[in-house]
Amino acid sequence: MNLVLVAIVLAIGAGAVVAVSTREPAATAIGLAVCLVGAALFADPLPSASILGVRVVAALLAAALIRWAGRGGARQYSPLGWPGEAMLATAAGVAGLGIALGLAQISVAVGPGVGPGGDGALGGMAPSAVTGMALAIAAGCSLLVVGGAPLVHGRPGIRRAMGLVLVTQAVLLIRIGVGGAATDLEEVARAALLVTVAAGGAALTRAAAFAAAARRGGAEDDQDAEPDADAPRADPSRSGAPTRRPA
Amino acid sequence: MTLLLLASLALGTGIATVLIGDARPSVALVLGAVASLVILGFALAMPPEESVVLGGVGFVGTPLVRAMAVAWSASLAVLSVLELGVGGRPTVVGPSLIGLAVACVALATLDPAASVAALAAGGVVGVLVPGLYGWLEGPTPAARLSTTSRGALAVIGSGLLALVVIAWGASAAGPLGSGGVVSEDPKARLALGLALVTMVAAVAIRTGLIPFHVWAARFMEGVSPLAIPAAFTWGSAAFVLAAVEWSQVALGPTAAGDVERLLIIGLGLASVVLGGLAAMFHDDIEHVLGYSILADAGVAVLAFASLEPEAVAAARDWLVASATVKTALAAWAAVVRATYGGHRLAELGGWARHSPGLGVAFAVIFVAAIGVPGMALFEARSTLVTGALGGLGGFLTILVAAMPAIYLGRIGLAGLAPVAVAIGAGPSGRPRWTAGRAAGWSEGPFAQAVRAIPAEVRANRAPLMALGVVALAAMALATAIGGAGGGPGGGSGS
Repeated sequence: MNLVLVAIVLAIGAGAVVAVSTREPAATAIGLAVCLVGAALFADPLPSASILGVRVVAALLAAALIRWAGRGGARQYSPLGWPGEAMLATAAGVAGLGIALGLAQISVAVGPGVGPGGDGALGGMAPSAVTGMALAIAAGCSLLVVGGAPLVHGRPGIRRAMGLVLVTQAVLLIRIGVGGAATDLEEVARAALLVTVAAGGAALTRAAAFAAAARRGGAEDDQDAEPDADAPRADPSRSGAPTRRPA
Repeated sequence: MTLLLLASLALGTGIATVLIGDARPSVALVLGAVASLVILGFALAMPPEESVVLGGVGFVGTPLVRAMAVAWSASLAVLSVLELGVGGRPTVVGPSLIGLAVACVALATLDPAASVAALAAGGVVGVLVPGLYGWLEGPTPAARLSTTSRGALAVIGSGLLALVVIAWGASAAGPLGSGGVVSEDPKARLALGLALVTMVAAVAIRTGLIPFHVWAARFMEGVSPLAIPAAFTWGSAAFVLAAVEWSQVALGPTAAGDVERLLIIGLGLASVVLGGLAAMFHDDIEHVLGYSILADAGVAVLAFASLEPEAVAAARDWLVASATVKTALAAWAAVVRATYGGHRLAELGGWARHSPGLGVAFAVIFVAAIGVPGMALFEARSTLVTGALGGLGGFLTILVAAMPAIYLGRIGLAGLAPVAVAIGAGPSGRPRWTAGRAAGWSEGPFAQAVRAIPAEVRANRAPLMALGVVALAAMALATAIGGAGGGPGGGSGS
């Protein structure tokens, strides 16, 4: 078991939990950046410097886009709070390890197949039960659960954009864990996908904030206006109303 | 190398066009039009087969890649000029150029995971840019924003789903890890079938097949018809091509057992029949366009039911030809709407009488969409339906071909009806001379003639746009006759 990879997986999970549960926009961006850069560094052995650069730049760009999208908009955070999110992430990580071990057993039973072989790369058959493949799948499952809830249930806004980025990163990690190391072209395509998803999420977030502000302006003119189903949830802490801290 | 030059130029100009499109729409449109013409030149110069290795990654140019590059870039050149005429924010050229670059690289590369990831990224741009511009300009902003959001989620979701299946296919624990495509082990066959069905589900989400069609139908209502080809016809076609090529190579024809075939055929026929019926009964020409695209995708998905080389070759022909035909139909719908303001058949009585150019273009589109025996499009449809359904295929081929005859025929009949008030009040579709140059074309100084051109172009905007649609319709007919031009071995690089 590679302890550096374990530390990176923990950083990925912690960053994701902070990103979705904190009420501070700056902490959200930092959490997301830690998560995405951690995922970019998750490789054994490390790829070439150019590919590593592509990965890290894409991760930082994605985090910056989400940070830009959240600026000035309504704050959205997990109703579960960070302990609940951390529990979910841990449970999903353990489930991911279980899935990886099951896949490894099948691989041992049927041989190396056409996928990654026992060459030491991610996905290879290592003597230890917790291989790089297992850790990648665990990290992916963890991100999938943490990002899935805001993506599916979140209102339009920063939370949904973050869910989109986290789920995309989750699938990219699972892809590495299951299918083995990516080619250089795939690395570039993955980076492009991550940045495009972040840019799309950011654009939709800004558009939702713009639409909500426009409708609030319209509602002031027309008191009988119907409530807007798409409006981001207002942050009570900004209005001066009594607030209840998340658990 | 031509392929990489083409892709680089398309990607660079596409991104530039998207970035400057809001601030300087005219510059973006002109840049896009010029770039698409240059790219068309590259596509025509591309050899039918070439291969290049760059940084350890192999790219193989095939007849399919060339056919798609030529048809898409030529369509785009005309669409960008039409977009200049229609006006509004530029929603066509930027996403189309990015989509073209991504599709060419994706179909030429030997790496299916890279193809799918790149196509998902390109697809997001193709949905978001026109969706957000449609939202900014539309009358019901909230609904359109959520539709755009759903569209982006569908494109990303389908790409991620396909990525997982491809990873599983490459895994030692995946369907190919336990004996390969000819394995008789029931568990291995189950795994192969599951991989195939999951890939078809990704295709269904991406193309908006029934029952995943709600986002696609709503999305098409809220954007310019000119933007639909990039988002749906070409983008979806590239995704389906990548998926079907991977399924054929990685899973093989034996992957589709009885249950899988039943599921795939049910999915395809539901979209063909229900999409066709919806197109027949809708009065809105944009709905007709949307549901006809959906019905075409239903035919394409039947290729997954057999995965034989003939079926995959037919899918290539069908996807390229039907995308070109639907691009022409989208251009026709956009020009009709821009010229006459209406989009319901009741408002469009006598459109063909009032604009003979649009009438000629529509007649050519009609022939290209239905086809006749011997045309690549007709034969591809017949092969796909017969390959999936066996004995019933002959009857169903006629039924499937009859559907566009009915829904397009309704529009054509409306064009021959007495001229409606809205049509009569619109600009004439016939070319006219506004006497912008008092001395006539044959007399007077040359400078005066040049100065008169802008006024004449403005006065003849409607017939000039109709001419553009005629060009697209001719291209659609040529593609419907020739197809992708590759035969069973002319597929993608993978």
